[in-house]
Amino acid sequence: MIPAALAIARVKLVLELRRREVIFAMLLFIAATIVIVHFALSGDTGAGSRAAAGMLWAAVVFTAVLGLLRTFAAEQEEGALDALLLAPIDRAAIWIGAALAQFGFLVVVEVVAVPVWWVLFFQAGGPSIGTVVVALLLANIGIALVGTLAAALALGARTRDVLLPVLVLPLVIPIVLAGVTATYGAFGEEVGGLRPLGFLALYDLVFVALAWGTSEHLLGD
Amino acid sequence: MRSLGRLSTTIPLVLSTILIPLTVALAFWWTPEDFDQGLSQKIFYFHVPIALTSYVAFAFGAFSAAMYLWKRTEVWDLRSYVGVHSGTIWGTLVLLTGPIWAKASWGVWWNWGDRQINVFLILFLYYCAYFMLRFSLDEGERRRSASAVFALLGIGLIPLSFLAVRIAQTLIHPVVFTSGGAAMPNSFLLTFVVGFAGMLSLMVLLISTEMRGKRTAARVLQLQRVARGEDA
Repeated sequence: MIPAALAIARVKLVLELRRREVIFAMLLFIAATIVIVHFALSGDTGAGSRAAAGMLWAAVVFTAVLGLLRTFAAEQEEGALDALLLAPIDRAAIWIGAALAQFGFLVVVEVVAVPVWWVLFFQAGGPSIGTVVVALLLANIGIALVGTLAAALALGARTRDVLLPVLVLPLVIPIVLAGVTATYGAFGEEVGGLRPLGFLALYDLVFVALAWGTSEHLLGD
Repeated sequence: MRSLGRLSTTIPLVLSTILIPLTVALAFWWTPEDFDQGLSQKIFYFHVPIALTSYVAFAFGAFSAAMYLWKRTEVWDLRSYVGVHSGTIWGTLVLLTGPIWAKASWGVWWNWGDRQINVFLILFLYYCAYFMLRFSLDEGERRRSASAVFALLGIGLIPLSFLAVRIAQTLIHPVVFTSGGAAMPNSFLLTFVVGFAGMLSLMVLLISTEMRGKRTAARVLQLQRVARGEDA
């Protein structure tokens, strides 16, 4: 199962390296989102402010949804999904592979975007970057998990592209809540310590378990 | 079987026609006026039972979804849909009655510091998306299992939202409002229990009536097919 999932993730990453369909779009999108949120909250997102810290989370979540729109798209267009479903591998492997690839895309985007965000807003001091990185990594796992789940559910839906954000966004509200709290906590204020990070890990575990239990029914027959 | 079907609507019909007016009577004529909140506290006997009942309906929807994934019979899919559907209708009532109470006792229509109403909002948004998912898939096995998986995931979302809101809240804002649950006088508690029982039986009535409607519609479709000579 693990080798099959890794193989599927590798296919997706290689495809992305060759076609560059998703990551560049995500990078431009996260930049535009940060600029829009900054101007929309004009005056509140000055350097070193909490709003600037929260802005990152809004941008990450929306950018993740953009990337998710292409999950399973290549398989569907080339008819590979039927072959994958017929292959003698665990159904869970298809979905875990897709989630791994999605996680990879998010990490690549954040490796570029987070340092830029940091320089633009926090060069004069801000949250501890270590906490923010751990929170983002845990959040990426959760977003990739529930996002891929939702994308699998929406496969074959008539309005797939409209549907997916509506399915994913309510599911990731708890991630945003905990992520923002962790980032505020990383300002060095006495807020909660490791609890938000613990929550993010718990979120990942709960949805891994739920997705594992239902993966037989996820992709259809 | 048929008489059982009737009983499942008759009993809740009788119960709710007795209990809901009784709640109104008890709330306005029997329970003393709340020392702190005055008349506006009366909405407690309706708002909170409606909210709890709507959680019960969502739980029923999720339970039926699990049963569908296990048993694979269409009736569990219908039950799951009807549960989520009724939960959403009652959820709308919760989101309407909540702000009325909030405005009267806290002076604002929406209190972003209140834990319950914010968790409820997340859950409501989530289950509204259920209908979008369900109705953009073609009828059949794929739609039934996708709807069931989505309804079931809500069970994970409820406790996680509670935790997340709590973590974010106790850390960012102090919790200002605590419910005086333990300090409730007996007459308040009894009226609340009657109200809850009334709302629950109304919910059972709604669910069983909608189920009957759905089954009748399916039967009519089948008979039409037979009449056209398509299949038996």
